[in-house]
Amino acid sequence: MKTLDTKGLKCPQPLIMLKEALVDLKMGEEIRVEIDNDTSLKNLVTYLKDQGVEPQVSSAGAVHTLVSLKPEKDLAGSNTAIYCTTDLPTSYVVCIKGERMGDGDPELGSLLMETFVDTLKLQEQLPTHVVLYNGGVKLAMKESPVCSSLSELEELGIRIMLCSTCIDHYGLQFDIGVGMISNMVVITETLAAAGHVITP
Amino acid sequence: MKFDLLSTIEYGGCSAKLPPGLLSEVLSKLPIATDPRLLVDVNTHDDAGVYKINDETALIFTTDFFPPICSDGYEFGEIAAANSLSDVYAMGGTPLLALNLMMFSQEKIPLDVFGEILKGGQDKVSEAGALIVGGHTIDDHPPKYGLAVVGTVHPDRLITNAGALPNDILVLTKSIGTGALVSGEKNGLCEHEDYRRALKQMKHLNRHGASLADKYGVNSMTDITGFGLAGHAMKMAEASGVSFRMRTQQIPLLPGAYEVYEKGSIPGATFRNLEFTDEHMHCTRGVDYNMKMLVHDAQTSGGLLMTVNPDHAGLLLEELNRLDPGISAVEIGEVLPESPRRIYFE
Repeated sequence: MKTLDTKGLKCPQPLIMLKEALVDLKMGEEIRVEIDNDTSLKNLVTYLKDQGVEPQVSSAGAVHTLVSLKPEKDLAGSNTAIYCTTDLPTSYVVCIKGERMGDGDPELGSLLMETFVDTLKLQEQLPTHVVLYNGGVKLAMKESPVCSSLSELEELGIRIMLCSTCIDHYGLQFDIGVGMISNMVVITETLAAAGHVITP
Repeated sequence: MKFDLLSTIEYGGCSAKLPPGLLSEVLSKLPIATDPRLLVDVNTHDDAGVYKINDETALIFTTDFFPPICSDGYEFGEIAAANSLSDVYAMGGTPLLALNLMMFSQEKIPLDVFGEILKGGQDKVSEAGALIVGGHTIDDHPPKYGLAVVGTVHPDRLITNAGALPNDILVLTKSIGTGALVSGEKNGLCEHEDYRRALKQMKHLNRHGASLADKYGVNSMTDITGFGLAGHAMKMAEASGVSFRMRTQQIPLLPGAYEVYEKGSIPGATFRNLEFTDEHMHCTRGVDYNMKMLVHDAQTSGGLLMTVNPDHAGLLLEELNRLDPGISAVEIGEVLPESPRRIYFE
């Protein structure tokens, strides 16, 4: 395993060295970093976690040893297709127009919508945005059964957009659990730029 | 051989500011001065305190100082002064008087450097049309310099960071990346020319921005400094009770700044600022990692961030860029109603 000795170096030198070394590292290979600067250690961990790897840290006195895999997706620095999902021809926006999925029995419609949102986060290809309007905004309220699923999607970097006129119309200003309140300009812009739109 | 001021500070990019979260914690334990004449107090984390003297005049009072960010004393003085004056401009005011705040050890640094720093500061204050009327020096190393500045504004034309309205357009008047390029210069990771361009931008006064903000009825304004674009935007959105949406592809970067981050020369201050905004910020998957970090890059003497009615945005931008050809003002996003998070990047 390749080892970087960064002892005695101040930030951002350890990160500069790590980024340089990661370029030559093969996939699946690990790298070890010896480091005695607590701030730099914390920053290296933040950086690596942001790249999707979980570094192992062990400490002996003031010297820490960090071991990490090469990040699988080399997201840093480049607008790679993986990171910039909007570049993909398959990129899509989910547009939810009401509280329920489909016409017919309202109870069934609610259940279907719940299952749909819960399933969305499991998709290999995630949407770029979830746009909620009219009755759909109610799904993003704190009390909604799918609020937590929408929050998980947001954590994954999916933009949840709520129609502001609809929030006002239903008087829900103080009940919002997740999402970015958006006006029609932003919503139209998003729908127009979408690869395609899925409407459950 | 000319004395290199950068040699006096710890090499590396960990900037001098206290972590923002820590500062808020300490300040929260102190009683806040309240007085009906205080138009702006510390509550809204604005750029300066503002005190109403009468119906025609309010006093703007502010200070800032920091260790060297460049090698040359004169340039350091210019930048530190431009940075201190900026807080008055950010309130829509005009600077009148300034006091030098200097920490300097004559045992460690030749005395002529002291004079150069003061000269740089004085020239910048003169350019702003204000006067230096004294100051105070303490023996300390590494050196630090800045100003305490007094300015005025008509109480009705005060522009705080608390007036942003939904649908306003967000305008940024300078490119970001000064922290990146100072770090890049120290670590030999950027072109010297790019670093020089960053210094030039830092010396640039926010004077035109302030006067045009008044002319076009800007609703809210702040200057971008140590907490980075994201941190200051977050504070402004919070003070105004709104949320901001910003498009990272439109945020102007100083040439070379992106490359410095790409090479890993990300200052410690950036990580601290990221911790500060963390749960209040949302980035879509489309946001490039280095851009996410650069919006947290600590700025020295950064630009003004304004929110303006969409009907006036075009004219404001046009005139800003015409009067101030040295820097470029651009639209970077818009103001949204208050949402669960303060700032949304895409």
